[in-house]
Amino acid sequence: MNIENHDNVCQEEVFSFLFNAHSKAIFRSIFYKYGNEEKAYDVVQEAFVKLWEHCTKVTPEKAKSYVYTIANNNYLNVLKAEKVRMKYNNSGLEKDRTQESPEYLLEEKEFQQKLDNALNNLPENQRQTFLMNRVEGKKYAEIADLEGVSVKAIEKRMHLALKTLRETIDGI
Amino acid sequence: MKENYLAKWLNNELSEAELAAFKETAEYASYQRIIEASARMEGPAYDPAAAYNDLKAKLTDRNSENKKAGKVIQMRPLRKLMAIAAAIVLMIAVSFWFVNSQDETVSTLYAQSTTHTLPDASEIILNAGSEITYSKKKWNKERVVSLEGEAFFKVAKGEKFSVDTDLGEVWVLGTQFNVEQRGDYFEVTCYEGLVRVNFARVEKELPAGSSFLAINGKVIPVEGPNADVPSWLNQESSFKSIPLKYVLEEFERQFDIEVETRGVDLNQLFTGTFSNTNKELALQSISSPSRLTYDLDGENVIFYAEETP
Repeated sequence: MNIENHDNVCQEEVFSFLFNAHSKAIFRSIFYKYGNEEKAYDVVQEAFVKLWEHCTKVTPEKAKSYVYTIANNNYLNVLKAEKVRMKYNNSGLEKDRTQESPEYLLEEKEFQQKLDNALNNLPENQRQTFLMNRVEGKKYAEIADLEGVSVKAIEKRMHLALKTLRETIDGI
Repeated sequence: MKENYLAKWLNNELSEAELAAFKETAEYASYQRIIEASARMEGPAYDPAAAYNDLKAKLTDRNSENKKAGKVIQMRPLRKLMAIAAAIVLMIAVSFWFVNSQDETVSTLYAQSTTHTLPDASEIILNAGSEITYSKKKWNKERVVSLEGEAFFKVAKGEKFSVDTDLGEVWVLGTQFNVEQRGDYFEVTCYEGLVRVNFARVEKELPAGSSFLAINGKVIPVEGPNADVPSWLNQESSFKSIPLKYVLEEFERQFDIEVETRGVDLNQLFTGTFSNTNKELALQSISSPSRLTYDLDGENVIFYAEETP
């Protein structure tokens, strides 16, 4: 549908289109940053409720960053100090089972565990950028847009994330 | 190796020579392994359709609470609505007293301003990124407004009227004045009548046509305004010998944009005016007198000192 013809998001078709287009990326991005699936889901829902309540003031183009900003702020308000304990799904490893030796699988599993730990210890911005790019396949420009910073800042986060992950895993 | 080369590598932006050199390094194998392992990870499950249904249920609940006409998403059958309606009657009765005793809050986002009328017909115009709070219930007894940010006040005649900020207090009798408190910046300008400023336990009277300014806890002597109303009411931001830092912060608020600086002296004083409606013009008004250059890129602008390339 053509949402550019609307100057607000008060029509349900516009609103549901925006929800379908953006809610997943916003949810995952908040999750990668703070590491609690349930709370990430809740703040994203609340943020869309806000969007609906203020639908006259927001254009379709601005809706994504509006929702993301509100969800992010709400999350920060709720729990500044909560420690990140993420569980990642590593389904790929299981699928390879038939071709690989048990030693290889064990070693890979150990490595995956180290990677999980290293990810949990990353600063939240770096973890978010890394996972949005690697797992969600988002381009640096898209992440920059969502976070409201320059592409260069995202490149810096990515560079530092990878560097820190390697240093942690290699035990430097 | 070049800046952020790991990010460039992932994006296939390294030249062949750079890539070859990177592959020679001892760390390359580890990086490669991290990337392979992370490719097997998956994000948490998310079903947009189910999530949208959750959201609709929430909206229906909210909607029946505040009965906003024209924003209705009807989902539930009538039978349920009846039960909800009964609950609402009870809730309204209970919450009437509660709501009445709540403080009133009015706030503006970046790139926004708004006019608010107080119970006694006094008027407050809020500049971008500001918030006021007051008690409707106690208004007749004491006229107190808490302010974060900047606002222009047109006060109706009556008893003492005061504005509380984190840095200082302002008292008045029927008058027009502007208060701005942001971070460690505190400025009061009186346009009509008389206001009394209490800053760091020192009181000072400001007659019409004069200003009070304190930055970082230090009172700085300033000339009075040269207009009848603050410049921002005319969609302009004016500064007289104000550190550049505050000028750039105001620019961020007016255009909802992120400012970065490279090698710029943020303490240098700025005197001038910029438009709150025309971004390009505003950028020129700020950069040329301060001898800066700038780079505008969507929601970001970077200022450079002119000497640096």
